[in-house]
Amino acid sequence: MIPNVAPAPADSAPATAAAAVQPKSGQRAAFSKISASRLFASPGGVAGVVWLAALVVASLTAQWWLPYKTEDQDFTAVLSGPTAAHWLGTDELGRDLLSRIFAAAAGTLGTSLITVIVGVVLGTALAMVAAGRGQTEGGISRVTEVMMSLPGTVIILAVIGAVGTNIPLIMAILGVLISAGIYRVMLGQAKSLQSQLYVDAAKVDGVSTLGISLRHVLPGLTNTIVVQSALIFAVGMLIQAGLAFIGFGPPIPQPSWGGMIQGASQHVYDAPWLMVPTGAVLALTVLAANAIGNALGKAPNTGVSHLPSAAARRQRSVAAGAAASVAEAGAIPAKGHLSVRGLSVGVDGGTPLVTDVSFDVGPGTVLGLVGESGCGKTMTALSLLGLLPAGVSATGGQILWNGKNLAAATEREMEGIRGRDIALISQEPMRALDPMFTVGYQLTAAIRRLRKVGKAEAHAEALSLLEKVGIVDAKRILKTYPHQISGGMAQRVAIALALSGRPRLLVADEPTTALDVTVQAEILSLLRSLVKDTGMSVVMVTHDLGVVADICDNVAVMYAGQVVESGRTANILDNPRHPYTLALLAADPHANTAADMPERLATISGQVPQPKDWPTGCRFMARCQFAGSACAAPVPLLPSGSEDGLVRCVKADELAVEGLEWLATEVPTHRVLKIVEKDLA
Amino acid sequence: MALFITKRLLMALATVLVVAVLAFLLVHAMPGSPGAVSLGAGASREAIDEVNGRLGWNDPLLSQFFRWLGDAVQGNLGTSLIDGRSVSADLGNRLPVTASLAAGATVLSAILGIGLGVSAAVRGGLVDRIVGGICGLAVALPAFWIGIIFVYLFAVQSSVFPATGYVPFEVSPQDWGMSLALPVITLAVGGAAFIARQTRASMLEALQQEHIRTLRATATPTWKILYIHALRYASLPIVAGIALQFIGLFGGSVIAEQLFAMPGLGQAVQTSVSTHDAPAVQGVVVIATVVVVAVNLVLELATKFLDPKLRAS
Amino acid sequence: MSIETAERQDTAPVAPEQPMLEVKDLLVRYGRGRKAAAAPAAVDGVSFSIRPGETVGLVGESGSGKSTIGKAILGLQKSAGGTISYQGKDITYAGAAERRALGGELRAVFQDPNSSLNPRQSIGASLAEPLRIRGVTAAVAREKAEAMLERVGLPREAVDRYPSQFSGGQRQRIAVARALICEPKLVVCDEAVSALDLSTQAQVLNLLADLRDELGLSYLFIAHDISVVQFLAQRVVVLYRGQVMESGPAAAVTESPKHPFTQALVAASPVPRPAEQAERRMLRESLGVRTAAAVAGSPGGCPFSQRCPLATELCASQRPALRRVGAADVACHYA
Repeated sequence: MIPNVAPAPADSAPATAAAAVQPKSGQRAAFSKISASRLFASPGGVAGVVWLAALVVASLTAQWWLPYKTEDQDFTAVLSGPTAAHWLGTDELGRDLLSRIFAAAAGTLGTSLITVIVGVVLGTALAMVAAGRGQTEGGISRVTEVMMSLPGTVIILAVIGAVGTNIPLIMAILGVLISAGIYRVMLGQAKSLQSQLYVDAAKVDGVSTLGISLRHVLPGLTNTIVVQSALIFAVGMLIQAGLAFIGFGPPIPQPSWGGMIQGASQHVYDAPWLMVPTGAVLALTVLAANAIGNALGKAPNTGVSHLPSAAARRQRSVAAGAAASVAEAGAIPAKGHLSVRGLSVGVDGGTPLVTDVSFDVGPGTVLGLVGESGCGKTMTALSLLGLLPAGVSATGGQILWNGKNLAAATEREMEGIRGRDIALISQEPMRALDPMFTVGYQLTAAIRRLRKVGKAEAHAEALSLLEKVGIVDAKRILKTYPHQISGGMAQRVAIALALSGRPRLLVADEPTTALDVTVQAEILSLLRSLVKDTGMSVVMVTHDLGVVADICDNVAVMYAGQVVESGRTANILDNPRHPYTLALLAADPHANTAADMPERLATISGQVPQPKDWPTGCRFMARCQFAGSACAAPVPLLPSGSEDGLVRCVKADELAVEGLEWLATEVPTHRVLKIVEKDLA
Repeated sequence: MALFITKRLLMALATVLVVAVLAFLLVHAMPGSPGAVSLGAGASREAIDEVNGRLGWNDPLLSQFFRWLGDAVQGNLGTSLIDGRSVSADLGNRLPVTASLAAGATVLSAILGIGLGVSAAVRGGLVDRIVGGICGLAVALPAFWIGIIFVYLFAVQSSVFPATGYVPFEVSPQDWGMSLALPVITLAVGGAAFIARQTRASMLEALQQEHIRTLRATATPTWKILYIHALRYASLPIVAGIALQFIGLFGGSVIAEQLFAMPGLGQAVQTSVSTHDAPAVQGVVVIATVVVVAVNLVLELATKFLDPKLRAS
Repeated sequence: MSIETAERQDTAPVAPEQPMLEVKDLLVRYGRGRKAAAAPAAVDGVSFSIRPGETVGLVGESGSGKSTIGKAILGLQKSAGGTISYQGKDITYAGAAERRALGGELRAVFQDPNSSLNPRQSIGASLAEPLRIRGVTAAVAREKAEAMLERVGLPREAVDRYPSQFSGGQRQRIAVARALICEPKLVVCDEAVSALDLSTQAQVLNLLADLRDELGLSYLFIAHDISVVQFLAQRVVVLYRGQVMESGPAAAVTESPKHPFTQALVAASPVPRPAEQAERRMLRESLGVRTAAAVAGSPGGCPFSQRCPLATELCASQRPALRRVGAADVACHYA
């Protein structure tokens, strides 16, 4: 009967896609401030506050406006329904229901508040202490575990046996029992707050444990405290009513909601209306408390579902049907050749994230998509597979592959291509694998599905794939779970998984960023040998120019949703034409040996513009040393003069002059490397 | 794994012991000595003292406790002060009633709750909002109120289910089921709502995990992603939620038994507390705890078994 | 096109007095109980020192113990043995009060710009905290905070804003400001630039270098990227699985490493010049370093022996001591 007092899961509203595509720095979950605005933005929250406020005011002022005293019996109007004299009817003794309900309200609300205060204060205090000190956590957690596995109602009844129906005391003891559940909820949050780096910084400052708890942990808990208080308030009221129902309510003259429902239950045969008023008021009050709790608890959900809803998938199919799915004018690329032309990706009905991106990937070659965070390289890569997050979609251009335009393909068509033609490996291999199933299960399931073979054959194929990716004891690994293997090995497994359908194109989204550099080297060697052996092509998304130099035949440098330069890797890295690429290379410490490591690295003033601030002209203009008036107009991607290279800069020719030299100059807060024409004479 | 089971068993035993001590102390704090209670009002001082002396009421608390503990471990929970019957025999008869009620309510809550939660998470949109609204309402209405309405609808207006009473399984399985129907459904309304909320939240969280994208990238059919992979990932918190629900439902049966006149443990608690029947109170509190702790232990082990991180270690 | 360089100083000004920081035979274990005691230590007998005005880089991969050493020095992680001395004073087991008494001379900059500032506190409050806790008045603290913000290249008005209004790179600069507001002598930078983009990383590295030159600071610069360390540090200590493999002047260690692990590490770091990278790849493959196994090696020997191309039975059984080879100290039987 005690409803579940463990964390009532906050209703998670589906996140907007914009939240998912913000640059790394802004993506962290917003801090939980008690925002009254959030409460008043939700209609449920407002209604809840209004009802509770009205109830409190009405019950506190009861003695002045109640039409009848609670004990006034009117035998002429027994068990009547709503009448002019008795708005909500009367009970079996002719007492006015309206008066009794509101007379009982004050006591109920007040004593429920006791439960809330005792439970929340005790639970939060214990959680903060436990989070602050590791040793005490074990002891406190064990005690609360015992408390949580007690049959609460039974214990409370036994307590009533000992102390009588002293409602405030009973509710206080209920609060103690409930504090165990609160502790659990708070502990998780308190611990996560304790593990934040600013707590470490405070410790380095020499702030005491108590100081940290009060100054850094407690403020972060306030939102949860308020939410849990609202929920516990509701629980307290229900329990009180239940106890009163079975006869353990306040002593006889005092009315109680539970007692009134008990009385009503006796007359459910002859006067069923009696059940309604008290039940309605009780339910509305509980609803109000829950609504307030839910409104405040709606944490901004930064996660986005990786599986678009059925509605979204149907929408994609409809849009695809409307768009052209056959290649337009221009050379249709050969089989196994990927051609992206003018691709744009954006938030549905909103900001663009990628504009006018074009590149080609021939079979057996590796293309690098390189840029800093927020440049749109990941979105571009995911659009090749149709795996953009919910709320983001391709808004224009073409992705030509084997005679189809993937940007306009239906979900069904993409399902036929994923795994079999185009495969994916992601950045965090441990998270990319399902933690609940063995490596063997995941691998064989994929092989069976993609190659349509039986179990035994799939098993043999899985073994051979694992060996192909360089895993020595493949047999043992097949039986392990993802959490039991290292990051490097997990990435090999992920590569094997990607290869299970014998794809012609592999999309690799920063596959080595999360790995140690020696492991990265091994994975890159593996990828090279796979490309050589199978002839498949790779689109490699990375922020590391060294990785580009190692494995990529061609590279496209991206900045603020555009390709600013593309061409053969050797040309781009040895002789960059775009100022951004120039600056990136000069900012990279890896570009130097110890002998010629500069005193200061090149920096670019300003920051990457957010999608909503993109200018119509060159997007790098605001930060570029060489910007001129010609840069304010939209800049197309034009041949750079070296092989098939393209560059998006009106000054590219000027900068291509041989013999430029960089000199460190003084700028107040950062160094800018200035290009100075060397005296050729 | 064996170490884990042992630790959990010890915790369970410790819990029961703590509750036994607690019950013992509470019982001694109750007004009225056993003599006064059993002999009723109007008994003479000497008669009361004689009964108390016989029961060892004035002995030191510690020895009384150990005496009770020793008896309890052998299965003897004393005799009721009110009707003189063996407490263990009485509770033994009552246990199947409450057990059927709590188990039935938990199972029904789980089935309904998981079903509703999964559809809300998977289909989203209108279905999600409707389920959310229903659950919100179900949680706000007190169980006893819902029970009375059900009685009104199903037993008074129509005679589908009996309003009160319990028929043991051995007597007639069919009647047993019918007598349990209304109480189980009543309790399951609130239980299902909580489990539905938990399920929905866990499923949504599961779908945000990165391995879902890998599954899509390997052309896994959508139904498999939802009902095999996402549900499996969500199963841990869901089972934990069901375990918590059982504890709550066990207490909820106190109300239900009162309402539907079922001779279970809940009824025993109510009567023994109001009549200050010390041994009965002590006995029923301990028995209730043992049942709850045992079921909790089983469900906890099930949760841990579902978790590969613990199973494989 | 080439990049002109100024004269680099590879060695710090020679200071005959005691080192700023001295770590001797540091031992750190994770967890408690018998199981923890049996597992290999996170930091196993590491020794190094930092002279005043010197930057020492601590390089290693995941599991090398480099961050743990930083945490132990700052008092965020309990040591199980060995000593850490700051300016001659033993601070191995110093508590909160003792750390306060250090007067803010030992400070830190952490890795994650998202969680290194309390999102609920204004920038000014976060910057002022280390001062206020030492009894500085609110007005003076605010003035110092504003001055520090200017020093790191942010506007003075930022003092009233909140972390969410700044980018990752700017937040990291604020973290640097907080580290320096007490006029420290030694700053521990625990992967301070690892989470930043290339251009932002360059800004913060330049800033750290500027402040070092201006204020004569010592840094303990912890990173996994040897080139980044090379930029800032005069001496480098290379760690593997909690032990020092090689230690010496930055140029020597990174240009001509003597220890097989350092060689592997340097060879594996890619450079953005395709032709050169191809050569390095050949070199790396010719080194013949094996893949890391899942299980740690035997406790008695060299931790790298399982992967090392030069390994023999001696390596597996006997832990090599640090000995001078060329300009650096190397822990290898065969270097």
